Order: sequence, then structure tokens, then C-alpha cells
Amino acid sequence: MAYNSENDWLLRVRGLTKIYGEPVNSSVDRTGPEFASNICPESGAIVAIANIDFDLYPGEVLGIVGESGSGKSTLVQLLYFDQAATSGTVLFRGVDEGRTDILTLSNQRKRYVKNHLMGMVYQNPRDGLNFSFSSGGNIAEKLLMAGTFHVGNIRGRASYLLTQTEVPVQRMDETPASFSGGMQQRVQISKAIANNPPLVFLDEVTSGLDVSVQARVLDLIRRLQQEMGISMIVVSHDLGVIRMLTDRTIVLKHGRIVEHGLTDQILQDPQHAYTQLLVSSLL
Amino acid sequence: MVENAKFQSSYSYGFIDETTKKEIRRKMLKAICIPGYQVPYSSPEMPISRGWGTGGLHLTLSLMGRNDVFKIIDQGSDASVNACNLRQFVQMMTECAVTYDTAQATIIQSRHRVPEEVLTDQQILVLQVPQPEVLRGVERYEFRTRQMHAEADYARMWVSLYESYVRFGALMRGAGYPIKVNSRYIATPSPIPRWDTPNLSMANCLYLFGAGREKRIHAIPPHTRVEPLEFEDVRFKVEEFRGILCSASGQDKAFMDEIFDDADRRKHVINDSNFLDKVKTGPRPPQRLFTNPE
Amino acid sequence: MTRILEVDGLAKEFTLYILGGKKIHALDGVSFHMEEGEIVGLTGHSGSGKSTLMKCIYRTYLPTAGSIRMRNGEGEFLDLAAASEHKVLELRRSEMTYCSQFLHAIPRVPALEVVAEGLLARRRGREEAFRAARQCFERLGLPEELWDAYPSTFSGGEQQRINISRAILSKPRFLLVDEPTASLDLRTKDAVIDMLLELKNSGTSILLITHDAHTLNRLADRCLQLENGSIRQTLETVVS
Repeated sequence: MAYNSENDWLLRVRGLTKIYGEPVNSSVDRTGPEFASNICPESGAIVAIANIDFDLYPGEVLGIVGESGSGKSTLVQLLYFDQAATSGTVLFRGVDEGRTDILTLSNQRKRYVKNHLMGMVYQNPRDGLNFSFSSGGNIAEKLLMAGTFHVGNIRGRASYLLTQTEVPVQRMDETPASFSGGMQQRVQISKAIANNPPLVFLDEVTSGLDVSVQARVLDLIRRLQQEMGISMIVVSHDLGVIRMLTDRTIVLKHGRIVEHGLTDQILQDPQHAYTQLLVSSLL
Repeated sequence: MVENAKFQSSYSYGFIDETTKKEIRRKMLKAICIPGYQVPYSSPEMPISRGWGTGGLHLTLSLMGRNDVFKIIDQGSDASVNACNLRQFVQMMTECAVTYDTAQATIIQSRHRVPEEVLTDQQILVLQVPQPEVLRGVERYEFRTRQMHAEADYARMWVSLYESYVRFGALMRGAGYPIKVNSRYIATPSPIPRWDTPNLSMANCLYLFGAGREKRIHAIPPHTRVEPLEFEDVRFKVEEFRGILCSASGQDKAFMDEIFDDADRRKHVINDSNFLDKVKTGPRPPQRLFTNPE
Repeated sequence: MTRILEVDGLAKEFTLYILGGKKIHALDGVSFHMEEGEIVGLTGHSGSGKSTLMKCIYRTYLPTAGSIRMRNGEGEFLDLAAASEHKVLELRRSEMTYCSQFLHAIPRVPALEVVAEGLLARRRGREEAFRAARQCFERLGLPEELWDAYPSTFSGGEQQRINISRAILSKPRFLLVDEPTASLDLRTKDAVIDMLLELKNSGTSILLITHDAHTLNRLADRCLQLENGSIRQTLETVVS
């Protein structure tokens, strides 16, 4: 088996920072886990995340775990261009072979990246799906953006994806509004993988679902990841989800990385006090 | 007729003041330079309400000169009440010649139809547009539709066509079929029937679109490629009128109105009144006909 | 013989912040090496640090001091104690398998699929993977009606057979195995031992924790005895 060198990363994030409000020079230094606060005492600016560095390799699943206010959702939103970063660079292998900071791309190129190279599954299906379109139509949106203008092909691909995610194909022309929560999430997953992207973000995708439904969705994600070899970034506050899905994990607190490591090491030999607290809080 | 000289010159030529007419002409030029792009304009107040053709009037009055010949139709008819009112107004304000004959006119203002007879490179067709924003049906916020046009992000438009096909078996059911102008902007041709839409592409005349209430002008210059949105396997088709003849002239191959006569019998009549008059009495004027794909 | 593993001065100390920063010393300066194709046994009382040592090598535990140098398939030595997460994951994916004492599996996956996991992860065909899994079950005497059932309901011995099958099928270059024969009867024990010997003959190096003398005798070339976190003595076992 060929070995990936250290330079075969898929995604390289350096110094990613997001601050709301008007920061001063010391805002970042005076917030964080040591201060137990995201809010700069001088300016009132909110440092949602700061100085985030990590690499992601092809086929890997990275977990991001943290509690409310840790900045984990913000991190993923920055990477998916739902929000603009304050500073930092993000290099992505699919764009200019990783030579261009994707945060500086034009809106049009960002849209290209979002459509062809990334997928996103939100916690709330209403954020990822358009409920005035049918579920097939939601998937069609991604396929159309990728240049498929053939109705037969679109429906064929949409049917295939819905079958893969265990959504009954007969309901393809119904709007997701009539689906259960778990099925809505599965439609979101079909949409996210429609163009075979190398990278998919999953933001708390099973929070709020019943446990049996949650299990089914997670099993599906795991199976798809194994079959398709997609790299994933999985955001969750639930260590059980992290344990099941991820190879590596980053622990966020007040917008900073307090610990990172292999998932089994984080769960069995946590080094940082906060991580130990989280792990001991597993039910 | 008021003979007091003081009042006779109280209206400027063409009702709208010269400065505003200049602004409107400039916006028209901008629209012509960016085919299919909606240009905002001043849309000054007119003595008729919004929604009754003010957009068309703005363009007509800004273009009209003393040597122009003006024709106006409403859904194909020169004689309908709105067309007559607007014709009177324009004639009064510009002292131009008016005609019912499509071939004689230099400026034609129309609501919801393109004349059957082919227009020449000496003619301008001004269309009245109720809703110029073709994306309004899929996105209600103006700032987002502007961004979508700027970035050519038309995915939702395409999905709505797909949805329409999946639900109703047809890409679009009503009038005003979305078009892609010059391979860049998606625009509305105003609520003209599908029959008229192919006429917009690679024409010799200039098409101008005025929306008074929404304050937008867009244009299709001559010799511009205009493509109705379609899929590779679900194509754009015009109305067919298979086996249907006009009951007044016995002709076919024109857009027909469906009417019920006093005995409740269903009949069809050619919609374009001037074209109907011509085919009843003489040779068929030249047309551009579109053949539906298989 | 080529060296495959060099452990030098390995120490592990746990700091439990939840208990106010209490420190637990688990390993204290362990050093040993392994040649390719060797089976090395680890013995010692409970709490002597055997599992800890194994988990340090697998990087489930982060060593506090020392180095763990393993030679990968391309002949390069990698210090697992200091390597990046990515490199360790690569190694785990392609070369190194850890089989713990207890079966950890998702409750909703049938036994056959659990066992075929390693092969499926390497993108072998599903048919081939399941066939190999079935053969393994036959050899270990796992009743056929259990093959599609969920392992969480199985007995200890059955779970153990699934656990070891999963590890063996992934055909690693380096296998860490913790008590592979604990709950098994003699016949099944021997079947497991035979399979491990077959692995050794095909080039796998195995580090083995067991307290069972029979297993140790049949399998181990050498034996390291741990006490209180360090190696007390090394024994060469007699090949029987």
C-alpha cells in the first residue's frame, strides 16, 4: 500500500479565527479556556474561535467535540463559507492543488467549491434542504449546479442516492416536509454526497433525533464513508457519535483547541483536564 | 381643445421632461449593452396607474420623434380599450403618426404579445412587463436575486423547472417562459405565449422591456442568441394548434385565441388583429415559424 | 532476522485531574525489542502494566517518556510515541492490528460483518471478505446460526472468537493481542493458536498477553515478565 507523505493532506487549516464585534489587539489573548470566556473584557468582542490549526487527510474522519460556546459549529461554517472568517488560511487540495487560500476565493469560485468539492449536512434539515422542492428536486439542485441538464439522468442519480440512504424512491417527488426527522436527514445526506465530493461536513446531524433513528443515520454515514472513502469532519457534543464515526478528534473549549489526538486515545487516555471531564461525563 | 397659448406648451414633448427622457434613454443603452440584465431606472409618475403600462410608456415616450409612426397592441389587438387610450395619449403628447399596420410602424408598444409579422431592422418593439425579476418565484429577496444574477447562480430556477416537469409533466404551463439571453443572464420575456418566444432570438429588430412598477428596463439587441430554458431530454415546445384553423380566415400557423360564439360553439381566431386583417384580404405577411423538436 | 520493534525507556504516567491531579505510574522504563516473525509473550500479575504497554505501542495511550520505534512495510522506522496522528492511523490501517480482551463492536452489526471489517476497510470485494470470515468461523467452531446474529448477545467465548477472527483476518504485519484464549475450551484454544501460528509463518510478528501456560508454551518464542511497570525478566520458552 502506498504511503501518504505528510504533504498529501486534503485540507490544511492555519490560524483560523472568527471574532464578532470590534476586537482590540489583546482580544484573542484575553479570551479562551484559561479565562473561561469568549468575550473580550475590554471591547466586548466575541472571539468565537481563534488560532485553529489542523490537517485532514484523504479518507480520514475528524471529530470536533465541544460543548455550547466552544465554537465547533462556527468552525465548520467558516470552512463551508456560510460565514466569513476574520483571519486565517485554509488550503484545500481540490483547489489549485492546495496552493490557494480558499477563504480568498471569489463568490463564484466558492460556490463551485461548495457544489463540487464539499458536502454539508446540517443539524436542522431546514438549513440544508429547500422544503418547497421535492426531495428529488433538492438533490437535483446539486446535480444541476454540476452541469447535469438531463432530467432522466438527474432522476436516475437521485433515485440511486436515495436508495443508498434508505429513503423510499417512491417518495422522491414529495417534499421533505412530509418526512420524519431521520428521513429528512437522510435526504440531506444524499444531497451532500450527490457529486461525490472528497470532503463532507456533518454538523450535529443526529442531535435531537430519537436514539433508534440516530443509530440508523450514524450507521448509514459510517457505511457510506467506508464505501466511498470520503473525508469527513464530524461535529458533535456526543462522544458516543465521535467514538463511532471518527479516527481523530479535536476538543474545543471557548474557541480554542485544548487537545487533539486519535479518537481512541482521546477517549481512553485524555490528557487535558477538560477532556477528562468530558470523557468522564459519558453516560 | 384649449386655445390659450400659455397652456398649450405646459406639457413637454412626450409628456416626460427632457432630462428624465435622457436618463431613460441612457438606461436603455445600458440595457442594450448588457443583454438580459435588468437596469434600474427612474420610472417617473404618469397620468395612468402602475400596472397599466407605465413601463412601456416610459420607453415609448423617450424614443418617440416627430417622424416616428406608432402602433400599440394589447394582447394582439389594436382596438382594445387600453390600447386605444394609450394610443390617444401618445399621439397627443408627441404629435406622431399612428397606424394599425405592423409593417408601417417604427415603434410598436405591446402588452403580452409579439406581432406575427417579422419586424425589420428599422423597428423597435417595446414590451410591457409586470414582473421583470425572473427569479422572484424562487427567491423573494431582492438582494439575493441581484446576487444570483451577478454570480450566474441560477440553480434554483432550474430546479423549479424540474419540479414543474415532475409535478405537471410540462416545463412551464403559463406565459412568460424564462430565457437565457446571450448565454449569460436569465430573463423574462414578459408574459408572451411560448409561441412568440423563439421570435426573440437572432431578430433584426430591437426588443425593449419596461417594467414601470418595478422600475426596471431590460433589452434584447438585434442578432442576439436567446434560448428558452430546457433540459437535454425535455425540450422547449411552442403551442401546436394541431388541426386548428382560424374561423375568420381559414388560415393556420399563427397564435390562436379560443373563443365561444353566441351559440356556445368553440372557435379559434388568429390573435394578432392586424395579421388577421392582412391574411383575410391579401397575401400572408412574412413570419418566423418555429418547429418543435421531436 | 530483521528488527521490527524497538521499545526504549518507555514510561507511562496517568494524571487524573478529576481526582485533583493524582498521578498513577503504570510503566517505568520498559525496554525490549522484537524481530520480524517472532511471537513475544507478556506475562505478569494483574496491574503489572501488560495492557498498558500494549496500548502504548498501539498509541491508545500516549507514552510519557521513551520511544517505540516500529519498522513499517517500506523499511523505515517510525517512533510511534512521537509520530503524527496521521502516520499512526496509516500504520493501523495497513499494518498493525490490536485485539483487546473484550469485543468492542457496534451492537447493530452482524457477526460476519464485524469480522470482515478489516478486509472491507481495505476495499477487498465483499464476497471475498465474507467468504474468509465464514471459513474462520468454521475453524473456530462458531455455530452457523450465530453468523448473522449480533455479537452483543453472545457468550464470552463466542465474543472472543469473533474478536480474534477479526484481528487475524486483517492479516497485519504486527499483531498486538490481549488474552486471545481466556474463555475458550482446549479444542478451540488450539484452533486459535493454530491460526496465530499460521499468521506467524506468513510473516506476522505478534506481541501476546496471556496468563495461560498452554498458550504461552505453544506460541511464544520469548516471554517478558512484567512487574510493577517494568520488565523483571526475559525467558526463552522451549518450543514444544
